[in-house]
Amino acid sequence: HASLPSGAAWARGLLSWARPERWLASGSLFPLSCIHSSTSLQKIGKWEKKNRIVYPPQLPGEPRRPAEIYHCRREIKYSKDKMWYLAKLIKGMSIDQALAQLEFSDKKGAKVIKEVLLEAQEMAVRKHNVEFKSNLHIAESQTGRGRYVKRLRCHGKGMFGMMKISRCHYFVKLVEGPPPPPEPPRTGFDQAKEYVQQLRNRTLVHTL
Amino acid sequence: AVLVLVHSPLPRLRALLQRCWGRLERGLWPGVFGGQSPPWGAALAVQGPALVPEGISGAEAPGLPGSVVWMAAPKHRRTIEVNRCRRRHPSKLIEIKRNIDVCPECGNLKQKHVLCGYCYAKVKEETRLIRMEIHKKEGGPFNAPTVETVVLYEGEKPTEKDEGKRIIERARKRPSWFVQN
Repeated sequence: HASLPSGAAWARGLLSWARPERWLASGSLFPLSCIHSSTSLQKIGKWEKKNRIVYPPQLPGEPRRPAEIYHCRREIKYSKDKMWYLAKLIKGMSIDQALAQLEFSDKKGAKVIKEVLLEAQEMAVRKHNVEFKSNLHIAESQTGRGRYVKRLRCHGKGMFGMMKISRCHYFVKLVEGPPPPPEPPRTGFDQAKEYVQQLRNRTLVHTL
Repeated sequence: AVLVLVHSPLPRLRALLQRCWGRLERGLWPGVFGGQSPPWGAALAVQGPALVPEGISGAEAPGLPGSVVWMAAPKHRRTIEVNRCRRRHPSKLIEIKRNIDVCPECGNLKQKHVLCGYCYAKVKEETRLIRMEIHKKEGGPFNAPTVETVVLYEGEKPTEKDEGKRIIERARKRPSWFVQN
């Protein structure tokens, strides 16, 4: 992220009416051109671009904004539904706990997700100014559908079926700081309280 | 015997069934039932629009022997909401393991009832090298001596206890976990 300070000031002046943050295009002098003209790569995904946003410097009184690291792996040879169970397991855990759970999980996707988490941790320490590599927690972890390929599956007696070879993507967002405390489950008492509150909020409309 | 023809969506399966049935009708398949009359009356009920021949109302004709075979098939499409309820039920989610500890020797993670993977791999590697030394000494299969084996590392001499034993030399410092005697 080597952008010229003069360019940054000029861009902030131009774009201050639009949004506080702007895209940091890699190595270009014109920050207005958000279209990344790349000939070698196919297409940079949206998740990879999320690492490029730069916030303006914080004012002295504001609370410190925690670092966010976005990482993903594309076209993993695994089913997205099976990967979802692992993603659901580690949602909201601290990174150490997540790595421990994945190490002793018997699923194929667990090894892949562990590699992704270690890569993201490494990226966080090197590039995103995170002080302690254990001070990260998993804010979001999602799976997506990759490109499917249809193939022939031969049965007996000359019959065949079409099977689909499925691939998936895995996305993770690490945020600095301890993991948030888990929400207490909604009890019947809470539901009753909300219902009574709704009844109390009723009022007369379209009247004098 | 009552025949209920059902059009199956797979043309190959339908062609196969038609061919088999044709052969049965023409008597070109005498060995199928071992000389007796065919026990079943209705054909396989596969998904698809059923073509019931006229004169027979419904599927249960009064003259049937009662050996009709019906296959279960889903009546309606399961909606994504119902599918999600089933797939995301807590019994189907992965449980978090609470039996993970830290190995006191190497500091890696280990399960409580399982040996530490790192320490096991370390010992396995050393054993493999010792076995290679043994193989070099023996020279071939079936040459194992009838005495005990002692492994000595750099700077170690055989004691009085290792009098008649076979000595295997390893060219490295003794590992801390491999206690002598």
